[in-house]
Amino acid sequence: MTRTANLWSLLGLAGFFLLPWYMAAGGFWSFGWVADPGGNGASAFTNILQGRVWLLGAGLALAAALIVSLAPLSHLARARGWLIAGVAGLTLLAGQALMILRNGSRFDLFGDVSQAGMGAGACVVALALLFIATTGISALGRGRGDAFVTGLVGLIVALVAVFVFYPMAFVLVQAFSLRGGAGLGVSEFLPRLFASENWSLACFTGRGWCGPAVNSLVLAIMTGVGTTLLGLAFALIFTRTNFGAKKFLRVLTILPIITPPFVIGLALILLFGRTGTMTEFFADLFGWEKTRWLYSIWGVWLAQMLSFTPIAFLVLIGVVEGVSPSMEEASQTLDANRWQTFRYVSLPLMRPGLANAFLLGFIESLADFGNPLVLGGNFNVLSTEIYFAIVGTVADPAKAAILSMILLFMTLGAFMVQRKWLGNKNYATVTGKADNGQHASLNPGMKWLCYGLALPWAAFTLVVYSLIVFGSFVKLWGYDHSFTLDHYKRAFAIVFRNGVHFVGSAWDSYFSTLTIAAISAPLTAAVGLATAYLLVRQKFAGKGAFEFSTMLSFAIPGTVIGVAYVMAFNFPPIELTGTAIILILVFVFRNMPVGVRGGIAAMSQLDKSLDEASITLGANSFTTLRRVILPLMGPAILAALTYSFVRAITSVSAVIFLVSARHNMATSFIVGRVENNEYGIAIAYATVLIVTMLAAILLLQALIGRRRLRRVDRVAA
Amino acid sequence: MTKGSVRFENVTKAYGGVTALKPLTLEIEPGTLCTLLGPSGCGKTTTLRLIAGLESATEGKILIGGQDVTHLSATYRKVSMVFQSYALFPHMTVLENVAYGLTVKRVPKAEARSRAEAGLEMVGMKGFGARLPSELSGGQQQRVAVARAIVLEPEVLLLDEPLSNLDAKLRRHVREEIRQIQQRLGLTAVYVTHDQEEAMAVSDRIIVMKNAEIAQAGTPTDLYERPASAFIADFIGDANLLDAEVVASGTETRIRLLGEDTLLPLSSAQKGAVKMVLRPHQVQLQATQTPGTFPAEITYAAYLGNLIQYSLASEAGEIFAVAQPSAGAFKKGDNVFVGWKPEDIRLVTN
Amino acid sequence: MYKVTISALALASAMWASGAQAEQLNVVCSNEQAWCDLMAQNFMIDTGVDVAMVRKSTGEVLAQLRAEKGNPKVDVWWGGTGDPHIIAANEGLTQATGADVSGLLGWAQNMTEMTEGRAVGVHVGLLGFIYNTEVLAEKGLAVPACWRDLAKPEYKGEVQVANPNSSGTAYTELATLVQLFGEDEGYKLLSEIGANVNQYTKSGSAPVKAAARGETTIGIGFMHDMVKLKKEGFPVEIVAPCEGTGYELGAVSVVEGTPNLEAAKKWVEYVISAEGQSPGLEVGVYNIPSNPAAETDPDAPDMASVKLIDYDFATYGASETRERLLARWESDVKGAGGAIEQ
Repeated sequence: MTRTANLWSLLGLAGFFLLPWYMAAGGFWSFGWVADPGGNGASAFTNILQGRVWLLGAGLALAAALIVSLAPLSHLARARGWLIAGVAGLTLLAGQALMILRNGSRFDLFGDVSQAGMGAGACVVALALLFIATTGISALGRGRGDAFVTGLVGLIVALVAVFVFYPMAFVLVQAFSLRGGAGLGVSEFLPRLFASENWSLACFTGRGWCGPAVNSLVLAIMTGVGTTLLGLAFALIFTRTNFGAKKFLRVLTILPIITPPFVIGLALILLFGRTGTMTEFFADLFGWEKTRWLYSIWGVWLAQMLSFTPIAFLVLIGVVEGVSPSMEEASQTLDANRWQTFRYVSLPLMRPGLANAFLLGFIESLADFGNPLVLGGNFNVLSTEIYFAIVGTVADPAKAAILSMILLFMTLGAFMVQRKWLGNKNYATVTGKADNGQHASLNPGMKWLCYGLALPWAAFTLVVYSLIVFGSFVKLWGYDHSFTLDHYKRAFAIVFRNGVHFVGSAWDSYFSTLTIAAISAPLTAAVGLATAYLLVRQKFAGKGAFEFSTMLSFAIPGTVIGVAYVMAFNFPPIELTGTAIILILVFVFRNMPVGVRGGIAAMSQLDKSLDEASITLGANSFTTLRRVILPLMGPAILAALTYSFVRAITSVSAVIFLVSARHNMATSFIVGRVENNEYGIAIAYATVLIVTMLAAILLLQALIGRRRLRRVDRVAA
Repeated sequence: MTKGSVRFENVTKAYGGVTALKPLTLEIEPGTLCTLLGPSGCGKTTTLRLIAGLESATEGKILIGGQDVTHLSATYRKVSMVFQSYALFPHMTVLENVAYGLTVKRVPKAEARSRAEAGLEMVGMKGFGARLPSELSGGQQQRVAVARAIVLEPEVLLLDEPLSNLDAKLRRHVREEIRQIQQRLGLTAVYVTHDQEEAMAVSDRIIVMKNAEIAQAGTPTDLYERPASAFIADFIGDANLLDAEVVASGTETRIRLLGEDTLLPLSSAQKGAVKMVLRPHQVQLQATQTPGTFPAEITYAAYLGNLIQYSLASEAGEIFAVAQPSAGAFKKGDNVFVGWKPEDIRLVTN
Repeated sequence: MYKVTISALALASAMWASGAQAEQLNVVCSNEQAWCDLMAQNFMIDTGVDVAMVRKSTGEVLAQLRAEKGNPKVDVWWGGTGDPHIIAANEGLTQATGADVSGLLGWAQNMTEMTEGRAVGVHVGLLGFIYNTEVLAEKGLAVPACWRDLAKPEYKGEVQVANPNSSGTAYTELATLVQLFGEDEGYKLLSEIGANVNQYTKSGSAPVKAAARGETTIGIGFMHDMVKLKKEGFPVEIVAPCEGTGYELGAVSVVEGTPNLEAAKKWVEYVISAEGQSPGLEVGVYNIPSNPAAETDPDAPDMASVKLIDYDFATYGASETRERLLARWESDVKGAGGAIEQ
């Protein structure tokens, strides 16, 4: 443990003396700063010599930690010393960063001083101080004395604090700002929070408008229940029946997840709008009035069901697969029939999965922005209201902040209900005691119910997607259906003349989207699963709060996150706007909760004695994670990777404020085209994205594959 | 202190406000098999996990091989554990499972492989290396779990109810094997079970625990012959516990049972109410009354071939007895007289 | 997994580099993507300045400029309706460029004057309505010609217009009717039209597109959007209201605190020049350019043939007026209900 502390002290000191403390012009990796140690590449030490004495604190703390390690002290005294040095150093570091800005100090406390955004040196020093502190904590015997565990907890807490809480604080402060720019105050907060314009129930009682809060809640519950049921039906078809076209169905269930926003909405309009194909068909057939029913809660719900069922499916398939066949066999030997087995054994064992699937569907629906925007009509939900409170004719950040808080409360509520429902039961079904049974197949009634739910949905999805592909190859979708490749040419033309030139208008955003998604996906999965590991496997103080804080960013609508990031990271101490990093960060911390939920569900099915066996066999926590837990979590990792990759490509609301001229994203490009009525090029681009993501997913699946727990996965006939 | 000893000094463990272990001091000799025995919830598994490092002590000091390991994480303790559920890694083959501990210690591949194969051979599982755990029977999985633990040559081998998932016949077979391996390798082993017969069969020493503390520790003979409490007397082997009173003590002890006094060859018993421990095989049944006997009625008689079990009702309470089958066997409803040899009697307090 | 994470980290750090580059012109564009791209391309060819372009709606740009105040990441904001440009100018988010506007049309000069040189007019878009000929015929409805026609009960459930709270287009319509008929009369008409409205859309151009696809019969919006749809082949006709109509002014502004002021000024001068504005026709931009020398399309609306009101941008662009009018719209028009589907 002393070695760990020393390593970090030395690394930190190296960062302090050698690396440029502030963001180096031209970027760190250009290494332009190496040649300019006095200016651009000035380390903290050089800066202190140049008069920025406030940087001294962090360096002293690092030196103190090193002295504590080398001095002849008792074990406990040493641990306390590391902890104190680490915490004090971090406090000083954060304090100076927040107090001294680019142009002077806050509240003019320190007179005429200035500094730029923190760079590589500051980053290394902060990390070193953090790990010195966590090593101290573990040496005090916390976290079973495991420095890896305390370090991981510390790292994730720090990351969430800096990249979720810090930016959110900027927005939430706005909730207390007074009308007319009269500063901050609480006097208007409560009346605005509970205003009837948010909570009105008028649409239930008669003519009138329901508040967006009510609309969002109703829609989210409908979507959560609907997607969970459909997802379960699919998961059961995959694991408990001998359905013939599973592979084909699998692709269909993945399609909606990888569809850029707006596309499903547009397809639905062409099918079910007032002049949609299906509407015309039924109107001619039955003489029905052509109505605009699609532009309502039903249209949004339909689109959300199409979009989010796959998420429920991805969560549930792992859980349904994980239910130990021997438990089902046990039930059957106890003379339960297949229905009873399913009802009383399999289904209760799937509870964590069901709860997680519902929670994800619920939150996704709350935060969904694209579908309500296209199909909402007069049906207003919180996410769109927040967006227009920020970008509307009259900007009202206070309203946006208050509506965001309502959204947050709803998520919190759903989270609590889920916790209560799951309780403290043990759902471990993959134990170290191997079994080799067969999954009970569904009884005929259940089977046909699943088919009845899932297959029409699959057929519907197929129609929607055929339409999308069709639309990308015709001149004017809906009117002029003559074949053309123009849309693809405009977006993805390549000229081979004196080398290869990507001249299509979409190439720039396409490449930067893929790069950013490819970087953020493994990071998201790593952070998410590491968090899940801590939550399921480790005990530490404040675990409940920790769990909630990691869920938070998912609940906040993307628009709010986007604005929060711009507000927080446009100035020192952390200056990231206009870079690709800010896009990567927003994806990592927005999508991390999915990794966490999936990881928790999968990990609570792994018996704890597996890790303990590994630990007692001399593996440390990290090796255990790598060699025992991760291999057993194949489906969860796959889900987390896939999901975060896809979300990085398809999310729009958070991105719209963060894309910059240098780093544009595909969705923001598509939105621009849709706004401009250029559906053809928009869906051509969307089609290319879908194909790209599909290829990536299949590749991931081949790489990670399925858990090898039983030699064969069989379903009893 | 030598390699393989385990020592607890006033170790306690509390989960929140719940005490899982009262201040515990114990010493396990190197090379011996020591069993932690007791009913569920008595703290025996907690003690085992404290040795393994899977739990950290709230207070006190734990030493393994003379080294203070109180704050050492499980990874770095030289102990291995066999789990009740075996905890075989389902995604690794049998050989990979057994070699796991060696590979994480960066033992060269070839060496790890040959040592793992030797371990499998030792538990009689040679040739099963390529299989997955799911393709083995319960007994085979158990052996693999033992092999995985011993190839690391731990200072201390911990076994947490290793036989509870096996059938009775297999259980006897495997426990003999475990005992043989332990003795052959001269390992220190700590064995947790709630089955007293199993404990008696394998142990050099047994630590009986009750309510988060040690009730009595000793060799199997000690515990059986000289129980320290009614709980031990009852828990280790069967015992009839009869209410009696010590009326005089000295080099011999005079007790009063059902109004009659008997002189026992025991010294220094305290005066007052005691329980008289009478093992079933020590009960002597006879058709006629002699001094020092009391009447009873046979309520149940079971012929088991090599012996007969009787249940009797008497003024002293229900009595359980076993006897060799003979011509003069009693049957249900017979009135008999219960006697004993004074030197067989042990006294325990309540 | 582990290795992937490491390499991802390395890549991420590598991209850190591209964050703070040397001299560049960063343009945020609120026009159509194709027009944005074309202008950037032409500008680069003609001036040699390297342009990075991103397209965002005016509301998004305004929100971004506010958030980035003091340390802007964009240099120039080009296009979109003029109101947000005026607001940005009033809030000190943009700066005067001193560009020569003497050669421009009168309304463009007025705008420059009104904002003390902070915003320069680049185009005009006229407000009007569009109807779908097929649906109109199917329903047997008369062709609407005036604002007042839209209030007729026969159009119940057939009219679509954006919500002025979220859309600048709809706010322009609101302000136009108020200026045409006076405030009380204007609101009365709005609520009467409101009785026929099937949906208040969020986006300003949505009603026009919905009419083109037959999702609504009549849509209110800007005429240059309508011309484009008509040219694309949708069965629509465009109407310039008989009572007269209002218009929007598109503008270009230079962001306060930009490090690339010189290049930004070049951009402003370029987009108000005739050679800068004329290529718009190549990509279907049918609004009226501010430079009288720029080419126009014969099908595009022109200011001479349409009866225009004297739109008071100073009054109706001011934040206080907006808030008051929008609050009244909430209570008098939206609150009054209409043919709106629940």
